[in-house]
Amino acid sequence: MKAKLALLLAAVLGCSLVLSGCWNSRELNELAIVSGIGLDALDGKPGYRVTFQIINPSSSAQTTGSASNQPPIIIVSATDRTIFGALRKASRRATRQLFFAHTQLVLIGESLAQKGITSLFDIFERSHELRLNSAVLVSKGTDAASVLKLLTTLESMPSMGLLKKMQNTSKVWGENRIITVFEVVNGITGESDFTINGVEIVGDAAEGEKKSSLEQSEPMVGSLMSGLGVFKEGRLIGWLNGPESRGTQWVLDKLNETNVNIVSPDMEEDIAVNIFYSKTRVKVDLQDGKPVFHVHISEEGIINETGGFVDLGKEDELQALEKGIADKTAAEVRQAVKAAQDMKTDIFNFGNELKRIHPQDWETVKEDWSGAFAEGELDLKVDAYIRSTGMRLKPYIPAKK
Amino acid sequence: MRKEVIGPFQLFAMIVLFELGTAVVVPIGLESGHAVWISILMALPGGILLYLVYAYLYRQFPDLVISGYTRKILGKWIGWPLSLLYLPVLTYNGSRNLREAGDLLISSSYDRTPIFIINCIMVIAVMYILYQGIEVFSRTAEIYFWVIVLMGLIANFVVIIAGLVQFKNLFPIHPGEWVEALKSAYPNIWIFPYGELVCFTAILPHFNSKHKIGRTGVGAMALSAFLLSFTHAVEMSVLGEDIYSRTTFPMFTTITLVNVANFLQRLDALVILTLIIGVFFKMSIYCYAAVSIAADLFHVKEPRRLVIPVGSVVLYSSFVSAENFPLHMNDGKVFLENILPILCAVIPVLLFIVHRIRRRFGWYK
Repeated sequence: MKAKLALLLAAVLGCSLVLSGCWNSRELNELAIVSGIGLDALDGKPGYRVTFQIINPSSSAQTTGSASNQPPIIIVSATDRTIFGALRKASRRATRQLFFAHTQLVLIGESLAQKGITSLFDIFERSHELRLNSAVLVSKGTDAASVLKLLTTLESMPSMGLLKKMQNTSKVWGENRIITVFEVVNGITGESDFTINGVEIVGDAAEGEKKSSLEQSEPMVGSLMSGLGVFKEGRLIGWLNGPESRGTQWVLDKLNETNVNIVSPDMEEDIAVNIFYSKTRVKVDLQDGKPVFHVHISEEGIINETGGFVDLGKEDELQALEKGIADKTAAEVRQAVKAAQDMKTDIFNFGNELKRIHPQDWETVKEDWSGAFAEGELDLKVDAYIRSTGMRLKPYIPAKK
Repeated sequence: MRKEVIGPFQLFAMIVLFELGTAVVVPIGLESGHAVWISILMALPGGILLYLVYAYLYRQFPDLVISGYTRKILGKWIGWPLSLLYLPVLTYNGSRNLREAGDLLISSSYDRTPIFIINCIMVIAVMYILYQGIEVFSRTAEIYFWVIVLMGLIANFVVIIAGLVQFKNLFPIHPGEWVEALKSAYPNIWIFPYGELVCFTAILPHFNSKHKIGRTGVGAMALSAFLLSFTHAVEMSVLGEDIYSRTTFPMFTTITLVNVANFLQRLDALVILTLIIGVFFKMSIYCYAAVSIAADLFHVKEPRRLVIPVGSVVLYSSFVSAENFPLHMNDGKVFLENILPILCAVIPVLLFIVHRIRRRFGWYK
């Protein structure tokens, strides 16, 4: 009996030894949580300078108790031929092992983007810690490290701040969208080319690293989401800004909400329409060997502001305004397509679409798709609807005599 | 000792768990590109026919496992060595499942834990349940059937509400692709996972309602085919053909992309649990089949005594059979194309034909 009990005890102890699963254990206080990764090219050498933005747990807590004067993040960087090499080399600078499962952001320096980014993302696919849904950004006119070093207001985590900025602007303004590593990998492997969000620094970047830069109501520096970087064969070849980048979003059906200023009977662009729904259908086919892009956009909006008198109660006035929205949208889309055709870069997934629906036709043009794309014709149709005029019908502004 | 029996729903649950086992997590039928989900459905009729052959043989010899009636049908001198072939194949296939589960665990979260430890823990669980007997095992299956169905529903549901599904990755299917889909359905998907049901020839003798054998099995196969096809369609539509074909565990990659309202994310544990449960049942059934065939061939009165040797062989071959995961996958392809079809389809069909002929002409003594 006693022997049996002892055996049972031994078995239970043995089980608790192996079943608790702490062979792999890594405790929280031995980890340095990386919130953002910056990748830069080295001058004239192959390899990368990899910058890690590490969360400083003692000063990033939201509680008032932590009155630490350290900044909420710590920057560590390392250079190596491979990203993983740099990641491990960074251990010479970091006191804790870097932990990547919470990486929100991957920033690519402009010079590296121009050299080519095709080989950057393998580690994101292969590793189980790095995630495919971290957002990707290209720093415009500067290196990735300086953007990562900037401290931000409102959000204490700069990576989180950038991510939220991106989310916010893509939700209400629509020139940018969140582009994840997953989408970039799909862009690289697909037949078409792709775009990645740009971010630029406004102000003196060196000041932004100091906490003192936040101690005034208008921060001395900040980052600004700016346009879409156009990548052809994995290399950054140009930027689309303003209407061009919004037109691109429209074609890609990635527009959530935006504002369009249209012409009123009185003045140029003084009616603000909030587009809150937009749906784009794209068909691509070949006609006489030339690709034709059929783009059909349907959008709905609310009139949010008028600068002059418009009789919003009248059906024909509203129809005129709807036409104004459609024209404005069409103009931006045409601008975007023209810009892309000038760069001979198919950023609208037209190539993928053609291959998917008409594989035989694709075979005939795939040798020189960028050439064929540049020659392609745009068949654009925009339907705009005004669904509401807000809390008033006619404005208080008197009609002009 | 009383004969152990299992009921219709328990058999149903076991077949579903066995079919889903690893097939739901690893990529299958790669040759068919984005039409893999159609291939899975296309292979179902063939799988059902094969199952009906097993069921017919069971009805003819309700008390015998496959090695038993092989000897009856083909005679002792051909039947015995032929059934002996099943032993290495069943143990090897069991060890392949173990290897896949171990590798997913290692590449997804336990990167520093030796594969030996992980596999060992799983084999110990399998040996334990087999030692308890088939009845305990089937009751466990009954419970885990609901667990798996529930987890599968949750996983698919969150992937869909996260807005990750893109139908353009699934459609359109061009005429040439139908042919490709058919080619990967037969024989590959037909054998793995449907043909692997040959293991159940060792379990059926315990089945308690003989007349329900056809209905239960076909129902279970149809349900699992539907679940498999749906899951793979979701995976394909989320990942696209390129990533799906390159990833080692598409379901895992799919679930890591989920992010619902910045709140529901990192659901990897669901996939890992699904795989562990699936592999546990699949491996146990393989081991059980190997144990009962060995017991039958070597006239071992107490099959339980073979559980530990079989488990150890499975454990050992799980990590010595291939140096690394890519080689393991390559071995699997050779194994699937050349060896499995003989045991899963050729021998049973041969038995079926010979039995019909012998009965027709009254050649049984």
